Amino acid sequence: MTAWGKRVLWSAGAVAGVLAVAGFVTRRGDSAVERPRVAPADSQMDKVLRGRYLVISHDCGGCHGGVDPTSTGWLAGVMSPFQEFKIGACNYFQPDAKPCFVTRPRNLTPDNTTGLGRYSERQTFNALKYGLRMEDTPDVEITSSTPGQGNFPLHPHYLAPPMPWPAWRHMPDTDLWAIAAYLHRALKPVVNKVADSEGPPDFWASAYTIDQIGTYPAPAFPTTNEQALK
Amino acid sequence: MIFAALLGVLSVSAQADTLAAPPVLKNLSTAPHIVEVTLTAAPARLALLPGKVTDVFAYNGRVPGPTLDVQEGDSVIVHFQNQLPESTTIHWHGMHLAANMDGSPLYPIAPGARTDYVFKVGEGKAGTYWYHPHVDKRTGYQVAKGLYGALIVRAAKSPLPAAIPEKLLILSDNRFGPDGSPDFPDPNSPAGQVDMENGREGPVMFVNGQVGPTIVIKSGEVQRWRVINASAARVYRLAVPGQTLLWVGSDGGLFEKPEAVQDIVLANSERVELLVRGTGAPGSEAALVTLPYDRYDTHTRPADWNQSHDLVRLVYAPTPPVTPVAIPDVLRPIPALDTTQVAATKVVTFTQGLINGKAMDMNRIDLRSRLGTTEIWEIDNLVGMDHPFHLHGFRFQVLDRNGVPERVRRWKDSVNVPRHETVRLIVNFDDFAGKWMFHCHILDHEDEGMMGVLETY
Repeated sequence: MTAWGKRVLWSAGAVAGVLAVAGFVTRRGDSAVERPRVAPADSQMDKVLRGRYLVISHDCGGCHGGVDPTSTGWLAGVMSPFQEFKIGACNYFQPDAKPCFVTRPRNLTPDNTTGLGRYSERQTFNALKYGLRMEDTPDVEITSSTPGQGNFPLHPHYLAPPMPWPAWRHMPDTDLWAIAAYLHRALKPVVNKVADSEGPPDFWASAYTIDQIGTYPAPAFPTTNEQALK
Repeated sequence: MIFAALLGVLSVSAQADTLAAPPVLKNLSTAPHIVEVTLTAAPARLALLPGKVTDVFAYNGRVPGPTLDVQEGDSVIVHFQNQLPESTTIHWHGMHLAANMDGSPLYPIAPGARTDYVFKVGEGKAGTYWYHPHVDKRTGYQVAKGLYGALIVRAAKSPLPAAIPEKLLILSDNRFGPDGSPDFPDPNSPAGQVDMENGREGPVMFVNGQVGPTIVIKSGEVQRWRVINASAARVYRLAVPGQTLLWVGSDGGLFEKPEAVQDIVLANSERVELLVRGTGAPGSEAALVTLPYDRYDTHTRPADWNQSHDLVRLVYAPTPPVTPVAIPDVLRPIPALDTTQVAATKVVTFTQGLINGKAMDMNRIDLRSRLGTTEIWEIDNLVGMDHPFHLHGFRFQVLDRNGVPERVRRWKDSVNVPRHETVRLIVNFDDFAGKWMFHCHILDHEDEGMMGVLETY
């Protein structure tokens, strides 16, 4: 499915159903994926290449721009309205239905004014792990994933759907740190101002309850849908 | 006959302002350069809305409070009594004074207690200031209940001609329940959460406590308006459609020269001084309006954010035009603070409800600055809505906004930092050791902890 096709699919989802359809978004095949190289001398190189592999294999460019790292605008965010998502009752056939929120994938390059350059790698990690908007989240270790507990905000500001952080938080922390390292250290900054995404007044909190996104960590194997290996 | 009488009434009313300035606090002292006044904060019942009685908190029984009107060089003594059922303070917003006179949350005045606020107004400080409570976690509530008033500092000799009449406009908004009481939703309700995000705004827009008052101006006349944004969260974009305003001053008084503008953004706690020129024909009408200004995060932006609102009717007297007074090209010198003698640069970062990643703790000192030094402060607003920054005790000059040098040099004590933008300012810590607040002046944000403590030493 093309990126444009994904957008139509996304815009067809009602707000509450946004996460339910997440599983239907196809990812690109693995043909373009580069395996992490083994044993470069430098551990930073290891980490960055691991991050690069994850970024490519998880199709970050599908929304944030570019086909592969040679593309113009690779991960530099929305450059045309066709890259935006309509979230809510509105869709391709009923563009004026309400509610309707526009999600605009961000500029993930480390530009200081329009990209991730003003945020720390920890803030990007917190976005990937907890779904917290990096600009609203302090540069600290988050000590809980339940609103109001530890230093997790009581009224969290979540990233707008369809950013698939509820799935990606299950990656090992080292992988999420590697993605942050690749974005912050290895990309050249691109100046591309992306307007803020829209959303409901609860900043998507009602879309990201445990009922909607499941528990973290994931339930122990096997669940009732699974069978123990003989 | 009746018709004629009615016309008479109309023509009389059309020639007098309905906008009333709050009374000036009576000076009890006869000594030169001493201003001694009494101020009491107490519950009261006032008609803020037509036909409704509202339980308010009031300074000397009125909303807004009476105006403290002083001259440069005056020593001010305010005998303050707190008759409220809760602690309060009075913050003399923009004054340069001893830290324990600043009315910060470190110095609460208990219910029933009295205190004297004593400070000297320095030379060169002529300008429009204001006073309001600044008590821990309750500032927004107490201001919404009615505690705010103007503080005017006058120069011995103003560069503006004495023939220019002066008007004071204290802007404030509020939201009321059906019974006329200020509406404070449960903080955990959706409405409460929107208040917390945006700051509390209301549909009723007051000017000096009045809704839609009238200012009468003669054709050709020039008036000086001092405008104070006393709103908790509403940002005004002021304009008089059909005329160019002459912007002559902001927080810390007059500029070096007048600036012609179409509109002015006035964020929370900021002040402006304007020269409004009677460019209309006798008998015509105009208005002071607030134009749409998008300060909001997209998630909580009110549906009516793009509406303009009339604040004041501007009525042209049906009398022959008068000859405009000459407006001086030069007002007063404002020496630039020296950027080559900067002792330190500090970074203040706004994230959601936090400053430099932390919520306010009165027992913590966040930043320290040595007296006698000049510093550059970089205020970084990372989030998707505007936050107005206020530093207590020390006025500053804005150097640049997002790297663009500030065109007009002016004294400020509050500056709006738009979403995702950076403002750099320069400040000289010349005097007064102690602890000072710096914070977001959206009162809901301040109360929720978007504040830090600076120690000067």
